[in-house]
Amino acid sequence: MDSEDDMHDANDVDSYEEDYYSGDAMYSDDDDDAGYEFLDNDSDDSDDALVSRQQKNYTILKEDDIRQRQEDDITRISAVLSISRDSACMLLRRFNWSVSNVHEAWFANEDKVRKAVGLLDKTDIKPPKAGEVACGICFESYPLDKISTAACGHPFCNTCWTAYISTSINDGPGCLTLRCAIPSCGAAVGVDMVNMLASDEEKKKYRRYLLRSYIEDNRKTKWCPAPGCDCAIEFDLGSGSYDVTCHCSYSFCWNCTEEAHRPVDCETVSKWIMKNSAESENMNWILANSKPCPKCKRPIEKNQGCMHMTCNPPCKYEFCWLCLGQWSDHGERTGGFYACNRYESAKQEGAYDESERRREMAKNSLERYTHYYERWATNQSSRQKALADLHQMQTVHLAKLSEKQCQPETQLKFIIEAWLQIVECRRVLKWTYAYGYYLPEQEHAKRQLHQCAEKELHTYLNEDASQDEFNNFRTKLAGLTSVTRNYFENLVRALENGLSDVDAHGASSKTSSSKNAAGTSKGKGGKGKASSKGGAASRNDDSTGWSCDQCTYMNPKTVTSCQMCHTSR
Amino acid sequence: MVDFGRVQKELQECNKDINVSGISVNPKSDNLTSLIGTIPGPIGTPYEGGTFKIDIDLPDGYPFEPPRMKFATKVWHPNISSQSGAICLDILKDQWSPALTLKVALLSIQALLSAPQPNDPQDAVVAQQYLKDYQTFASTAHYWTESFAKTSSLGIEEKVQKLVEMGFPEGLVRSTLEVVDGDENLALEKLCSG
Ligand SMILES: [Zn+2]
Ligand SMILES: [Zn+2]
Ligand SMILES: [Zn+2]
Ligand SMILES: [Zn+2]
Ligand SMILES: [Zn+2]
Ligand SMILES: [Zn+2]
Ligand SMILES: [Zn+2]
Repeated sequence: MDSEDDMHDANDVDSYEEDYYSGDAMYSDDDDDAGYEFLDNDSDDSDDALVSRQQKNYTILKEDDIRQRQEDDITRISAVLSISRDSACMLLRRFNWSVSNVHEAWFANEDKVRKAVGLLDKTDIKPPKAGEVACGICFESYPLDKISTAACGHPFCNTCWTAYISTSINDGPGCLTLRCAIPSCGAAVGVDMVNMLASDEEKKKYRRYLLRSYIEDNRKTKWCPAPGCDCAIEFDLGSGSYDVTCHCSYSFCWNCTEEAHRPVDCETVSKWIMKNSAESENMNWILANSKPCPKCKRPIEKNQGCMHMTCNPPCKYEFCWLCLGQWSDHGERTGGFYACNRYESAKQEGAYDESERRREMAKNSLERYTHYYERWATNQSSRQKALADLHQMQTVHLAKLSEKQCQPETQLKFIIEAWLQIVECRRVLKWTYAYGYYLPEQEHAKRQLHQCAEKELHTYLNEDASQDEFNNFRTKLAGLTSVTRNYFENLVRALENGLSDVDAHGASSKTSSSKNAAGTSKGKGGKGKASSKGGAASRNDDSTGWSCDQCTYMNPKTVTSCQMCHTSR
Repeated sequence: MVDFGRVQKELQECNKDINVSGISVNPKSDNLTSLIGTIPGPIGTPYEGGTFKIDIDLPDGYPFEPPRMKFATKVWHPNISSQSGAICLDILKDQWSPALTLKVALLSIQALLSAPQPNDPQDAVVAQQYLKDYQTFASTAHYWTESFAKTSSLGIEEKVQKLVEMGFPEGLVRSTLEVVDGDENLALEKLCSG
């Protein structure tokens, strides 16, 4: 390295740090990844409820966290390889932001890596000490102070540089790999040049691309797909369930980024979503119920039995339903009316049967699909409604309730938990319909469980929050929530295991206890009128504790009066 | 906004060594955004002896965006549409750089005439023929060069005169010449085939 390069590097760091370390970058001594989850603890209680329920195998990253991590990685590479931060950044981007991959490739063959990324460590072009230099783009001559160069030394005037960089940035994320404008050169143009020569707007865009690259090119991170959410999720690959819940409370499958669909697998979901595209189903419908008029191409529905089709006015074309041939060809010449030669011969070859059979199947499959789709869609909208209610509860009702019951809002968390459970149930229920649709007809055991689940689950979803008999309500709701949660977790596990270890009998006996417990809350309003006698009997057999007759709360064996409502056992 | 200062410089530079390269660029009108380029068919190819005209449109972002170029002369080549004259060439797309010039682009097109890339075709029919039956390809390309790329220096009235002398009625000659854009070879072909 010659001294000029060193100078260059030193400048890099300055401009870089100025730009990157200003403003909102966050410093923290906390090395613990989990720290990221609690950044906004106070603002969002609902996260805790979900977090506590499952062992987290992912980390939610807010924009500041992402920037911080990116900065840290750049710092690390820059220090270890003794290169400028700018170069480190380009290296990392090239190797999908994997620090270890950069190390590996660099120490294996530094020259090769430098070449691939466009990091020159020397240049043959000697800049003149004084006088004028011709710009390689506009071909005008300029004094040296109006000329800039990348590491390669190819001179372009600042106006041309600005236009060159601006065109590239406005072209998209390809600007992150911008090279010198001389095609044979290949020297990288990095963030230092951008900061020097681009407008504020374009600098912002460039930084946005850099940030996006950090998430999108990294194998372990993905953006939260919720509209308007800026968080990303880092996932521990190979650690089980893909379901993740973002700070924004959106739950999605990290693997396929569709809305969370446990217990249904990604493949089924993608099939289902494809299926739902109205177009493909419309095609099926038309296939099953109508044929296009051979003349005007409008679909014509078959009039029962008669093969003689007449298109609607003004077309009025007459044709044969079987072969779509002109009806006038079907007279005596073809063996009399209603006898279609082409149909007969096609039938003999087996060609007709096949197409007619497919038509029949399409019709059946359409009916079946409609059945599942309607239910899937209903649960989808119920879930949306529950989400809206939850939001309303969190933003309005909870404060009111807190005031009225003289209880701190933190004590009312159980209500939010109940709502979250309802939302979750709707989600699971919804996906069981996609699951049900793809269950092979023969697998009766699974189908039975699905139908059973379908019926049972509905009973859990009528609970409504009320302020009457508040303590009763609380205990009942808390108990109900945990019962429901258990039930759903069992169901989800069963579905995930492909039900191989669950027969229909086992499944329905498992549900019966929870069904009874849930019975307490049946009916609109759920004002806590009903008691839970039915549920208590079976649950009290449980060796781990006893369920309160009054409120269904599951008490430990060691206590004799309910910890929730103080009713004696 | 197109950098007209640069375009002006490019035209001067290019036309300076026209005797060596045979390549020229000229404005279509006063407007420097619409130009016409000319390249000679490379020697030793089916395009030899032809003069090929290239329509050039400069986008607002020129030279930071690539110039738009297509063949105005009909040409039989795997990477050039025999219908529209569209050119499949990387430096006219993502490989463009503002340090390149119209002349460099025209030189690249000339090089493309010498070395077709049938595996990245613009015209599938031509590419198929090139790969499966090179002889037929070469003679078709040659025929097209003879028919379309060798415009005589005759004015339109002289062309009319010539064709009328061959025995075709003047009205028909005029309308036919109009259809084929004044190309006397093509007009003769059309007139003969009726
Ligand atoms: Zn310039
Ligand atoms: Zn360079
Ligand atoms: Zn989110
Ligand atoms: Zn998925
Ligand atoms: Zn019709
Ligand atoms: Zn027929
Ligand atoms: Zn109790």
